[in-house]
Amino acid sequence: MSSGVAVDLENITIRFGDFTAVKDANVNINGGDFFSFLGPSGCGKTTILRAVSGFLEPSEGRVLIGGNDMAGIGPNKRPTALIFQNLALFPLMKVWENIAFSMEVAGASAAERRKRADELLDMIALGGQGDKLPSELSGGQKQRVAIARALCANPDVLLLDEPLSALDLKLRQHMRTELREIQQRVGITFIYITHDQGEALTMSDNVAVMKAGVIDQIDTGHNIYDDPATPFVASFVGENNVFRGKVKSVSGNEAVITTNRSGDLLTRITPAQVGKLAVGDDAMMFIRPEALELAPRDADSKTTISANVINEEFEGNSFSVFLEGDGGKQIKMSVPNLGQDRISVRGENLSLRYDASNAVTMPAGELASE
Amino acid sequence: MSSANLIRIALGAYLLIFFSYLLGPLVVMSLTAFNSSSFPTVSPWACFSYEWFDVLFNDKHIRDGIYYSIVIGIGTVILSVSMGLAASIVLTQVWPKLRSTYYTMIIAPILIPGVVLGISTLVFWDRAGAFLGATDGSFLHGLFHNGIFLTILGQSSFIASYAMLVFVARLQRFDTGLTEAALDLGATHTQAFRKILLPFMRPAIASASVLAFLASFENYNTTTFTIIDYKTLTTVLAQKVRLGINPSISSLAFIIIVLTIFAALAFEAANRNKERKLAVRKGKASAEKSGVLPGFMTGNPAAIVLVLLAFVVIVLVGTAQKYSPEACKIQVREAKQVEIQQRIKELREARRIKDEARAAEEAKQPAQAPANAPQNSGAFGNVFAPGNLSEEEAPASDPAPSSGTGAFGNVFDPNNLNSE
Amino acid sequence: MKKKMIFSDFFKNNGVVMGCLLIGLVSFWLIFLIILPQLSMLDYSFRFNLPPAEVGGPKDVYTLSNYQHLIYGSDTTHQTYNTVDLKVFVRTIIAAMLVTIFNIFLCYPLAYFLGQSKGSGFVRLLVVLLIIPYWINEILRAFALRIIFGDSGLLNEALMFLHLTSEPIDFIRQDIALYAGLGYAYILLMLFPMYNVIESLDRNQIEAARDMGASWMRIHRRIVIPHAKPGIVSGATMVFMLSAGALAAPQILGGPSSLWFTQLVYQWFNDSLNWQQGAAYAIVLLASTIIIVLTVMKIFKVNMGDIGK
Ligand SMILES: Nc1ncnc2c1ncn2[C@@H]1O[C@H](COP(=O)(O)OP(=O)(O)OP(=O)(O)O)[C@@H](O)[C@H]1O
Ligand SMILES: [Mg+2]
Repeated sequence: MSSGVAVDLENITIRFGDFTAVKDANVNINGGDFFSFLGPSGCGKTTILRAVSGFLEPSEGRVLIGGNDMAGIGPNKRPTALIFQNLALFPLMKVWENIAFSMEVAGASAAERRKRADELLDMIALGGQGDKLPSELSGGQKQRVAIARALCANPDVLLLDEPLSALDLKLRQHMRTELREIQQRVGITFIYITHDQGEALTMSDNVAVMKAGVIDQIDTGHNIYDDPATPFVASFVGENNVFRGKVKSVSGNEAVITTNRSGDLLTRITPAQVGKLAVGDDAMMFIRPEALELAPRDADSKTTISANVINEEFEGNSFSVFLEGDGGKQIKMSVPNLGQDRISVRGENLSLRYDASNAVTMPAGELASE
Repeated sequence: MSSANLIRIALGAYLLIFFSYLLGPLVVMSLTAFNSSSFPTVSPWACFSYEWFDVLFNDKHIRDGIYYSIVIGIGTVILSVSMGLAASIVLTQVWPKLRSTYYTMIIAPILIPGVVLGISTLVFWDRAGAFLGATDGSFLHGLFHNGIFLTILGQSSFIASYAMLVFVARLQRFDTGLTEAALDLGATHTQAFRKILLPFMRPAIASASVLAFLASFENYNTTTFTIIDYKTLTTVLAQKVRLGINPSISSLAFIIIVLTIFAALAFEAANRNKERKLAVRKGKASAEKSGVLPGFMTGNPAAIVLVLLAFVVIVLVGTAQKYSPEACKIQVREAKQVEIQQRIKELREARRIKDEARAAEEAKQPAQAPANAPQNSGAFGNVFAPGNLSEEEAPASDPAPSSGTGAFGNVFDPNNLNSE
Repeated sequence: MKKKMIFSDFFKNNGVVMGCLLIGLVSFWLIFLIILPQLSMLDYSFRFNLPPAEVGGPKDVYTLSNYQHLIYGSDTTHQTYNTVDLKVFVRTIIAAMLVTIFNIFLCYPLAYFLGQSKGSGFVRLLVVLLIIPYWINEILRAFALRIIFGDSGLLNEALMFLHLTSEPIDFIRQDIALYAGLGYAYILLMLFPMYNVIESLDRNQIEAARDMGASWMRIHRRIVIPHAKPGIVSGATMVFMLSAGALAAPQILGGPSSLWFTQLVYQWFNDSLNWQQGAAYAIVLLASTIIIVLTVMKIFKVNMGDIGK
């Protein structure tokens, strides 16, 4: 098996007529990485993937695969294999013919093809099902056939366009693990597209978060979750509580923000924006629900917020408490279930505290719409 | 309630009228094929006979016509199906602003009268030959004035539009992602076309081919201009019909009708069978088989009728073989002879009486005899129609010995029948 | 610039070989089988019928004489009109319209009945019965009518048997056979488009209207007919064009004294060997029928995309 090849996108811009679907994207993907593009529907993820696989030429910029410029090289000549959003299995061919299609077009003999197809079928745990038609398989099985078909082409880069979106939750979780395992086994570069952040965070070495054609942040899943670069990333990835305010003071990577409701609060500036906040700037502070807790009496007022309880939900392993927040937004607090009956009563005024290192601040910007 | 009944009765009557209008003439025509009377008719039934089928099978013009119709049909299928397929694929990709103009252009041939298509084809290739400087006797000149070549082009110009419509309907359900998937897996565009799109289009190609062949086979308006010195079945038939009608044409019609019914029933049966299988697979219908009928016939009236019809045809053909044609013919002829003599006698008698009467009333009613004459000429068919008079090869096509009886009979028949 | 992009996209999507094949086939069809033939027919119609030797010579100039012939006949002073040919022309157009209208009325109830009673075995049988005559040769269908309408045909026999008439009626000379034949020839081209659109009408709409107390007439006027309009116009267009351009039925069923316009074209071509004159007549036929069809489509606000569905 090939051992993974780097993919670089240099200043890629893609336009459809007057509409710019991707704007100035710069991405460097290491060979053998599992790399994800994460973003809401219509933000240009598929468009980027189609530029990598060669179905469209970027209007500006270059696509490099293994350091080679791919300009003018058609999809059938690139060392990539694409797993389509709807899988695109050939309905009139048997499963094994589907899998070995890339060998068929390269002129391999039927026996050779069958042999290789059977190997791959074994790998995806579908041994002996090669003579079925795709329509006779279940959703997850089709999924695995699509993967086998792409792998059969011995690609250096495997491109996956939301391959799990059609599956139900259970199967999706199962397939996540399986995909990751396959990737580790074959060791080639995976470029994975999803609008499901859970998928992106669990499977990927690196994630690029996109918004309306622009890449906001590229980092490990962990960093994206903990140190979001923009308000969009902070609000799109995972759940987050937003507090708007003005910068009161800055020192190193710490800042004090004057919020509308809760007065001055101490926070940490997100690494990507250190040095970019000045006193008096509009800022946004984000605190995750699990980083909030009930404040003890003597809590530092610079890290406490008080708000009225709107309601409370029991979620099994935790309670979610919703409180009145900024500008009509609710504040959500997550409290682990340690056997309490309840956390709060409706209308009660609660004091919440957090750890300043868990509150990230950045210049104000657009939020992800719910 | 009575108004509902009224509606039902009206609907029934309407259906009856509609279908008699549609099918009645075909039934009558089919029956005339089995009447030994040399004029296609059912009402004075002479004798049940297969002789018109013999006449038909021995008619060289018709056999040649069928041969050329098939040759032209095959050519037209190849050309029009490939053009129609290409046009439909281009339609799915054409720049949106151009689409409606393009569609108008490729659908227009359906609306252009066939006569116009025939003429324009004829004129254009004649001109093209002149333009290319093709002289008499050169290959190009020969090609551009070759009836088969011109007819294939003329027919394809509009049959391709029909084919295109079939393909467009199917292409709407094609997932272009499949072609992309094939390309992504390393297929060339040609391979992707051959291995992905073409198999998907196969049913549409099959039905477009059948459609194109039938449309070509029965085309008259275009062909009559472009065929020049060849003959297709339709142009032979048209000429025969215009020169005077005879029951061998009925027998041909009967064969075509039976074939059509076969095809229609087979198609319907296949459809039903497919549906039934689907239903069984979906578990909607129980898969149990009735004990008597084979599986494919259960709940499939079309299949049952098809089998029955096949049986009837086998019996018919079987008796036709045994029905020692010679003996039958002699019998028929004798009967006819007797009949004709009888009629002639009657006629003579009638004429004698008439003459006597006329002699008596000569002064009073001189115009009666001429008044009868034009009626007879009407029954000769269009022999005197202006189009026929100028038909130069008309007499040449007639003396074929087999069809001779039919044409000959025509002269006598109207007299026979009119002397009621 | 933009055009270039479209082309490069086209070749990118289809590859060079397939792209050339597709473009080649389509342009062969459009250019050599449709556009150029029509243009050369148009060109021909403005030329004199010259002996081969003089073609391209000084006498080979453009002329309107072929068109003038339709209007004034061989009268070069243009005093008298070519009443014979003009009459044939007007008669052809009007009769084709009447045949079309007759077909609309005859087919609408059946299309409605078939379209709205889905799936029953009886309806399927009817559809199969409809398809059978569809594939029988035009000539043979005309021939069948000829057997029925002939002097000693079934109809006359029956009428005489019933003593409704004492002498055979000359259906052919009176053009009754022709009109019946034209109505018969293309009836299914009216029925199937109508049937297709009516079948796509949601039954609930009719039931909702009935529920609101709409009369039977109103349901048709306000719901079914507006929905079926594209099918009706599409069918009417085809029937009109085919009837006006029919050749076989008039040749076989037409009376000896009354001609169809296509027969004039045919005579100019095959009998008089005057292709130029025939081309002019064909152009007149094509132009007038297309103008009529486009006008009707405009009036009823139906566009080209609905034709052939
Ligand atoms: N061929 C095209 N022509 C014009 N606009 C296009 C074309 N393809 C995509 N777009 C536009 O580009 C934008 C990005 O599309 P893209 O398919 O990349 O979204 P996506 O991120 O994959 O969304 P999803 O998650 O829904 O699949 C969309 O606004 C879309 O409308
Ligand atoms: Mg997408």
